Amino acid sequence: MGNPFETLGLPPRFALRREDLEQRHRDLSRALHPDRHAGAPASERALVAPRAADVNDALRALRDPFGRASALLALHGCGLTDADRPTQELLLEVLELREALDLARGVEAKIAALRGRVEALARAEEDTLSGVFRGDQAPAPGDLKRARDAAVKLRYYKRFLDEADVLEEG
Amino acid sequence: MALLQIFDPKAPPTPIGIDLGTTHSLVARVVDGRPECLLDCDLQALLPSAVHYRADGDVVVGREALALAAEAPKETLVSVKRFMGRGADDPETRRLGPYDFAPAGEAEANSVRFLVRGRAVTPVEASAELLYALRSRAEDALRRVGGAVITVPAYFDDAQRQATRDAGRLAGLEVLRLLNEPTAAALAYGLDKGRETGTFAVYDLGGGTFDVTILSLDHGVFQVRSTGGDARLGGDDLDRALAASLLEEAGVTEPSAGLVREALDAARAAKHALTEDDRAEVVLRHPSGVLKTTVTRARFEALARPIVERTGPVCRRALKDARLKPEELDGVILVGGSTRSPLVREYVKSLFRQEPLTDLDPDQVVALGAAVQADLLAGQSPRQDALILDVIPLSLGLETMGGVAEKLLPRNTTIPAARAQTFTTYADNQTGFELHVVQGERELAADCRSLARFTLRGIPPMPAGMARLEVTFRVDADGLLSVEAREATTGASQEVTVRPSYGLAAEDVERLLLESFEHAEEDLRTRQLRERVVEAEQVLRATAGALAKDGGLLDEDERAEVDGAMQALREALSQPEDRALKHRTEALDRAALPLAERRMNRALERAMEGHALAEFEELVKDRALHPHLAAGAKED
Repeated sequence: MGNPFETLGLPPRFALRREDLEQRHRDLSRALHPDRHAGAPASERALVAPRAADVNDALRALRDPFGRASALLALHGCGLTDADRPTQELLLEVLELREALDLARGVEAKIAALRGRVEALARAEEDTLSGVFRGDQAPAPGDLKRARDAAVKLRYYKRFLDEADVLEEG
Repeated sequence: MALLQIFDPKAPPTPIGIDLGTTHSLVARVVDGRPECLLDCDLQALLPSAVHYRADGDVVVGREALALAAEAPKETLVSVKRFMGRGADDPETRRLGPYDFAPAGEAEANSVRFLVRGRAVTPVEASAELLYALRSRAEDALRRVGGAVITVPAYFDDAQRQATRDAGRLAGLEVLRLLNEPTAAALAYGLDKGRETGTFAVYDLGGGTFDVTILSLDHGVFQVRSTGGDARLGGDDLDRALAASLLEEAGVTEPSAGLVREALDAARAAKHALTEDDRAEVVLRHPSGVLKTTVTRARFEALARPIVERTGPVCRRALKDARLKPEELDGVILVGGSTRSPLVREYVKSLFRQEPLTDLDPDQVVALGAAVQADLLAGQSPRQDALILDVIPLSLGLETMGGVAEKLLPRNTTIPAARAQTFTTYADNQTGFELHVVQGERELAADCRSLARFTLRGIPPMPAGMARLEVTFRVDADGLLSVEAREATTGASQEVTVRPSYGLAAEDVERLLLESFEHAEEDLRTRQLRERVVEAEQVLRATAGALAKDGGLLDEDERAEVDGAMQALREALSQPEDRALKHRTEALDRAALPLAERRMNRALERAMEGHALAEFEELVKDRALHPHLAAGAKED
């Protein structure tokens, strides 16, 4: 799977609207989905099927903010790996949030409040990423470092929000 | 139908849509832009999904078979779909039902087999009998039948889908596509007519399976947002619950197969009556007397409610997966005969907080949608822009160290899909990788459905962690999985189209094809040749079509090459011979490759132009307003 921005023909920037992403995905699916080539020779169907899968995968990769951040970092040659450890500060913050979530178990209003808090934290990181990846010029090395830190934080916030989801499901 | 129809041998074959259901099956086609079910000679659309095996070896299907079910319960297979793609030890074989099962020898442990008159019958074979009957019905009405779209429950796993495709092949059908039933229903409703966008839920309570699908419509594109279901929950369960209650009331503890069949039939009749009436009379003869009783709607609903309520959590999860609240839906579609029950309708209404749509016959809506899709695939539809983007219902993954299921493609991934992941060895000098492909949501591979196991060998000895095993999962537009494994440092590679552990082996399908109805007279070679001819004709037709439309994309030399290859293939067809046909078909495919590439690239360019960068310029201005995506846009 190559560069998902290129696959969808979109500028490589962080601030993308979901509607635009989905619009592109739809247009390209119309061009590439095997069903749209059902009557064509086998060679043509063999050609489009993997491209259609790429288009689907690109949407998946870019749909959520963390995925978009990872894709942009990879594009600029400093993709995240499992070795990217969070800072002590972030770990403590997440630990504290988790404890609070544990205590909030069963109380919907409290879970919602915690969710709101983490969503606000995530938005701040997303603003950083929007500033770094503007799509018009390559980010400076110092900015890439900031973006990476922001992405790591997003990853943890996202995990936290997923856990909150599971708790709410009860 | 017009009385006088002049048969035109050059008319294109008519594509058909088939709903292969648990309780009944239907076939439909599109005529003048409208889908319509084909009727049998009694003017019935529904073919009861019953197959009776006679003592003389003949097979009877449909209403006639169903009528024999009570006197010959073990020889009459009904609700076969419940067994599709299931193993011999599946819990389904131990539920209330009249059948005997063939002992699972080692070779056959993979597929459940009914024991009928001393002969083992797989669910795939029984389903093929039903499909064959529908195919014959279509041929009577249409003369030339084209490819078929066959529907499957959205929640069918890979094994069940493979089994359905095999049954289609066995019945001599060209299976254009397996289509998810709820998606078919959405197509049939023509939601794309008269509106540009909307979000819908399809609640499909069939005879043996339950599906719910949330999909959105956007300018002709149906995109499935999420799907969920229970492949062991259906209207049959309501019959079973009432039958068990009737048998208990009669004081029968160990009913014979015949009595079980009669109790199930009585229960079903009572269920149907209770759709309209408040009470139903039941008469059930049993060894120690006759049970005459009145089943009130209250009694039936008390038995049915816990079963119907099992659909609730499934629907809520599907909504959650789609990140939607019930109020945000523009409509709820009901599918399946069981949704006629007032209890079910009330329950659906309370779940989705709106009155469900019931304009189309819930028994026919799936077949009608399948016909629409068949028509679309055959390129004959005026709904040119319609496209369905469906998803896989259950996560697909591999077993890794410690028995954990590593998910490569999570549930609700849009298809077609491909995902690669790299693994490594955990022992020094490990020369083989065992791959265990599983499907399901559970953490441990042992709790998921096992689809296939295979070993990649021939890896040269290396220290642990050095080998690079690249595994690629691909799911095609039918939702069928294939897996490729490649060792990157040596290039040792193996590709398997997953033949699920619970399906039929490829050799079995071949053997059954040879033994089947129409091929009895043929040997393997004749059949291969026949398939080769069909393929060659298809390639010729497809290439001619592409040339007629876009021949201008080729320069003179390229055009001459394609024309030459077409001529060569036509000549080969005049005296069909296997190798020459194979050769020239491939040659034509190769010659047509530049055309294929250019057609694809042009389609791509057009897609990109369609919503050109102007919008993205606007986006820059918008950025102050939209610094990021909505916070609600999280990943699964």
